[in-house]
Amino acid sequence: MKRFATPRLGLILPMIAVLVFTVLLLFSLIRMVEVQNAMRVEAEQNMLWVFHQSEVAALRLTETIALADLGHAGTDDLALRFDMLTSRIALLNDGPQRRFVEQIGFGADLTALTRSLSEIAPMIDNFTPGSGARLRDALAPFARFFGRAANMAMIAEWNELGGRLETYRYQLRQTIASLIGIMGAGGILTVTLVLSLRQSRQRNRLLQQERDFSGLLISSSGEGILAVDHDGRCTLWNGAMAAMVGKPPEQAVGRMLAEVAGFFDVVTVRQGIKRALGGETSQLTFQPLFAGDCDRPLYVDLRFFPMRNGGAILGAILFIHDASDRHAAQQKDAQDRDRLEELVSERTRDLDNALQRERSAADLYRNFAAMVSHQFRTPLAVADSALQRLIRRGPRADPNEVAERAGRARGAIAGLTRLVESTLDAARLDAGQIGARRVKCDLAEIIQTVCARRRDAAPDRPIKVRQATVGQTTAFCDPAHAEQVLENLLSNADKYAAPKTPVSVMLLGDGESLFCDVRNAGPSMDDQDRQQIFERNFRGANSVGITGTGIGLFMARNLARMQGGDVTLQPGGEGVTFRLILPRFTEPQS
Amino acid sequence: MRMRTGALMAGLMLVGGAALADRNDVMLQVTGQIAGGVAALTRDALHALPSVTIETSTVVTDGVHSFTGFLMRDLLDHLGAEGDRVTAIAMNDYAVDIPIADFYDYDVIVAYDMGGEALTRDDKGPLWIVYPRDDHDALQDIRFDYRWVWQLYRLDVQ
Repeated sequence: MKRFATPRLGLILPMIAVLVFTVLLLFSLIRMVEVQNAMRVEAEQNMLWVFHQSEVAALRLTETIALADLGHAGTDDLALRFDMLTSRIALLNDGPQRRFVEQIGFGADLTALTRSLSEIAPMIDNFTPGSGARLRDALAPFARFFGRAANMAMIAEWNELGGRLETYRYQLRQTIASLIGIMGAGGILTVTLVLSLRQSRQRNRLLQQERDFSGLLISSSGEGILAVDHDGRCTLWNGAMAAMVGKPPEQAVGRMLAEVAGFFDVVTVRQGIKRALGGETSQLTFQPLFAGDCDRPLYVDLRFFPMRNGGAILGAILFIHDASDRHAAQQKDAQDRDRLEELVSERTRDLDNALQRERSAADLYRNFAAMVSHQFRTPLAVADSALQRLIRRGPRADPNEVAERAGRARGAIAGLTRLVESTLDAARLDAGQIGARRVKCDLAEIIQTVCARRRDAAPDRPIKVRQATVGQTTAFCDPAHAEQVLENLLSNADKYAAPKTPVSVMLLGDGESLFCDVRNAGPSMDDQDRQQIFERNFRGANSVGITGTGIGLFMARNLARMQGGDVTLQPGGEGVTFRLILPRFTEPQS
Repeated sequence: MRMRTGALMAGLMLVGGAALADRNDVMLQVTGQIAGGVAALTRDALHALPSVTIETSTVVTDGVHSFTGFLMRDLLDHLGAEGDRVTAIAMNDYAVDIPIADFYDYDVIVAYDMGGEALTRDDKGPLWIVYPRDDHDALQDIRFDYRWVWQLYRLDVQ
């Protein structure tokens, strides 16, 4: 990994190599272009051949002259050969050739020869056999000149060629050196490239490993993990998530989260994701998650985190933990606690009732004692004084007086007996010895019976019975108890009403119950008496001077309640109205 | 052709012997694979071919010159030549083989006039094979330069 001492050197070295590479390449390119341009053979480099041809032309003219001397050649041949030589001289005097001749120092000689050519021309035209020797002498300098010029041309051309080759060699050497440099730079670049490739491959492998590891972490996590981008599109969905929601990753990744499952469209979840996209972490607990085909929800904990890269938020990541077990445990705890609380309150109530009963018992005895001492003393005193009078009168007493005094004593004793009975009733009630046998019975009949008995007992008190239209008057009750309740109510009404004022009994009813209102025209009660009137042994403010145990209304209410009914004190109005409520009889459903 | 030449000769008898002799001299001999095997062409016959003028520099002179003559391919077509190369032979026995393709690839002419003056035997005449050297880079090469045969007097089609 750390092949280079510093990363800067790792960068500078290849840059230098590239620079060297470029410079050397440019240099060798320029050199090669120069060589390419120089590699062109100029025509004047063919001067050796030109001189040779010229010399041949001169020699052939000389030869033709010799043949003409002997009569073996005609004037046409002579003219042709002379023209050939003339054309060679003309060629040599042409631009490039002339310059070369001057360069090798034969310019003056060529000019002289050219001039002598014009002197030779008439001799050719007027050639006669025998005059060849003079012509040959005139031509002698030509062959000599061409020979010497060819010699010089060869030397000059070889010099020039040698120089040129040397230049080429020099330039090629430079080019070769440049190429070696280029190879070196290329080598450095190659090595750098290979190193950086290896480095990059290694990094890629590490990155891949890290990514694989992250992938493994995500896929093997027991928590559901999902990621969303800013558009709300799912970018990651692991196996645990698939198991919880019931959707495989291919049905989730790339789709809008709200489309994948309705759970993600819930307001709280949406807000959590929105906050996470805004860079805020949040969490939710015990969210019910209904998986695709399951009726019972999973209860899950959610944690929302923003996904950051540097300063930018790329999306949000959501961890979902299945907390159903914990939720169930918590639910069970709550239920247990509730049950316990209920149990405690029940017990408390029981204890309170027990305490209440104890207190009532204590009150009962205390009240009973007070009542006995007060209520029982009066009839006893009445009976006692009646009997004392009888004893004092002795034989003087006539039978009427005896009967009257004895009757008074018996009345007092009968009242005493009633007091004892009602006290015993209350005791039986407390002991749970009184039960109700409920049957179908006509309440109107019971009312008639009780009222008739009442009229006999107290003929001075008018009793009016009225019946509202209530339909059936059959009640579901114990007739004996119902009679006793009505007896109590009527007796009370009689007891506390002014003499001669009527007592009214009215039968009413609604859908479920029958009501029997017993009303007298007595003085109305104050609020405190109203609240306590049904308590055992309570005696109202208006009960002074009237015998009673304070048990009648208490008994009446308890008996009525025992039959599913009640006795209430009706509010307001004139007089006092007590109402007996009994349930209507309903035919059992067959 | 012969009739016309005859009439022309009769008309020019009066002008002068030298001129007449020049015009009747054979200027170019063609041998080898041509119709009839041998052709001897006079100045008039050569001048009867469509004349073409090209401007070019040469390797043996300075500057650009104007050359007038006939296209080599016109001559070969005229003679019904069949072959793939032509041996051009000069008066000093200089001989060069030229591929016939040259004449069809380039407008190679046989010039009889340079710069408005007829080429003469004591210079580079009477006939000079001229390549349009300045028009084609490929022709600026010594392997083409030696095909510029001057003092041309014979072609052998092979």
